Amino acid sequence: MADADELLKVWASMAPPEGETWSIARPGPALDAVAARLSSVPRSFLDDDVSIRALSGDVAGAECASAAYADDPRVRRGAAIGLWLLASEDIVEPFRPTLAGPWALRAVDSLGLRVAPVVDPLDWLADDERREEAARTFLLWAGFVPAGEDRATAQALWQARDSLRRSSALAEAYAAYEHREEIARRLAEARAKEAAARYSSE
Amino acid sequence: MSDPDDPLALGEYRPGSAAVLTDAERWPTLDAEAAARLHRWRTHPAAPAWVHATGDRLTAEAVDRTRRPLPLGGWLGEHLATARKLPFYRGRTGLTTLTDFPPIGRADLAADVSAFVPLDADLDRMLHGTSSGSTGAALVIPDDVEEVARGFHLLVDLARRAGVEWTPDAERLALVWVLQQRQAFTYVSLISGFAHRAMARVNLDARAWRTASDRSRFLADANPQVISGNPTSLAELLNDDLRDVLRPLALFSGAMALSGPLRARLEAAFSCPVIDVYGLHETRPIAARTDDGPFRVLDRRVHVEILDAEGAPVPDGEMGEITVTAGENPLLPLVRYRTGDVGRLVRSSDGAVGIADLEGREHTEFVTGSGVRVPSVDLTQQLQSHGALGWSVVQRADGGVEVTVAGGDARLIRDALRTLLDQPVELERVEGLIDLGEGKPRRFVSHAVAPGRGTAPA
Repeated sequence: MADADELLKVWASMAPPEGETWSIARPGPALDAVAARLSSVPRSFLDDDVSIRALSGDVAGAECASAAYADDPRVRRGAAIGLWLLASEDIVEPFRPTLAGPWALRAVDSLGLRVAPVVDPLDWLADDERREEAARTFLLWAGFVPAGEDRATAQALWQARDSLRRSSALAEAYAAYEHREEIARRLAEARAKEAAARYSSE
Repeated sequence: MSDPDDPLALGEYRPGSAAVLTDAERWPTLDAEAAARLHRWRTHPAAPAWVHATGDRLTAEAVDRTRRPLPLGGWLGEHLATARKLPFYRGRTGLTTLTDFPPIGRADLAADVSAFVPLDADLDRMLHGTSSGSTGAALVIPDDVEEVARGFHLLVDLARRAGVEWTPDAERLALVWVLQQRQAFTYVSLISGFAHRAMARVNLDARAWRTASDRSRFLADANPQVISGNPTSLAELLNDDLRDVLRPLALFSGAMALSGPLRARLEAAFSCPVIDVYGLHETRPIAARTDDGPFRVLDRRVHVEILDAEGAPVPDGEMGEITVTAGENPLLPLVRYRTGDVGRLVRSSDGAVGIADLEGREHTEFVTGSGVRVPSVDLTQQLQSHGALGWSVVQRADGGVEVTVAGGDARLIRDALRTLLDQPVELERVEGLIDLGEGKPRRFVSHAVAPGRGTAPA
């Protein structure tokens, strides 16, 4: 099983900054609908033998990043639940608006690589608060604010449920990884932009 | 894209290739008079082909802030408090006083510079800086737009301490920063906090000018109040065509060691102070001097220690590695940064801290097959552009060049250096920096040019 630290590092390297994600989030499906659908995940999706690589290909036509870490049971279950949310739009009924979109697999990975390393996905099924955390996280990284909530409210409610923030050691590590990615991105942007005038040799 | 006619041309030095902002973004307080001034120097008939365009990016509020130095009261305590929260020190305990912090070095910044950027830093002020440094591989440095602008006012303050009142003077260029190398970023800028007077970064290399006489025509018309550069470029000012037309109030030398004889010649030629500033891009300016005595540590957020090889402080007066705690750049607060340079800490009678016998800043020239001198920065550009992480380049007395590179494309490097120097080049490639030897590698040595000669024309 990989360290939570390592899995969070992978997530930090692939995810855009939280603030930026919130700033472009638009109204999405109702939170209750997503949470209820999440809890109805079929046993077959949680089977230890399920191949996330194959499942992702079948559901989304591409491989999610979690597939590379699916030998870790937390990652496998977390990603499988995310894939169930996508698959359920065909099997049960579509969400309004639909979850399908450019960030659908990123949302799956937010469950596999960001939430699952901190809270076991089996707890999402047993505990209302943890299920809400997973549903809110999924919606955020799919590009949505839960229906009926404004961004500020949704952000505050998500942060209050976010287990990563409550684990100080992991939160610190994650903040450092996220910071590293952000600095690299900002430096690349600054390089593309042009320097400022200087005055002497150093 | 490189110039197909020049096998050594590097794409980023093509005119305009890195300029993307509008003038209103470069100088948010730009007015019509300043815009006209800018236009005049950009289109001056004898101007070089400007490679770049860049400004200071200061809003009116930032112009005001950058005129004043950062306050010094209690800065070190605040600085250490900031440092304790840096990702680099995560999980480390017992960092109570300055000496509890482990010395750090260039390799730490190269490994992960973000670990030294505060989590709550204002990243909107970030600029992309690079430092070629002592081990070869360029280091990316997050610079702060206001700290960079404050650097100009530091020069004004240093000039004032040397007895020079430097204030805007009609249409004279406030400053010309001169370089002498094959390729360079050159530009005209305006100094928002200096009544929008113009400054220029100018390459004195003959290839940068349309005709041979343009160089002196442009500089005569610009009549710069102050000239900054490194010993190589400042020495070029002693050429008759420039010496006769320049009337600077002061000269600033940086980046490399300024020899006593060259200082004396510059002072004699221009009858003005020559201020030698010691600093690294990572730390910002550390100390300065106006004679051949010790460097005086600047009255700013900088604290200097001298450490032995094990990292322990040595008593005042003993030689050791210059180690700097630097708090001017809010995006890169450094604690006990080992510079790789050596010196002794001395205290003057007025209590000021100085650095004596400073060694380490290199000043090396090579000579081509036809006898033309080539500054080491030209080699650095080629080595870095072909991926070398570090190197040792030694020119024998017979002109032949022995190169050891860590990493990079050996064939391309050999070809580039052969073309640049027109000399036989023997090259060995090693895998890692450590294979170049421990400590600060002496990257450039030339036995074909007499040491200590400076770069003044014979």
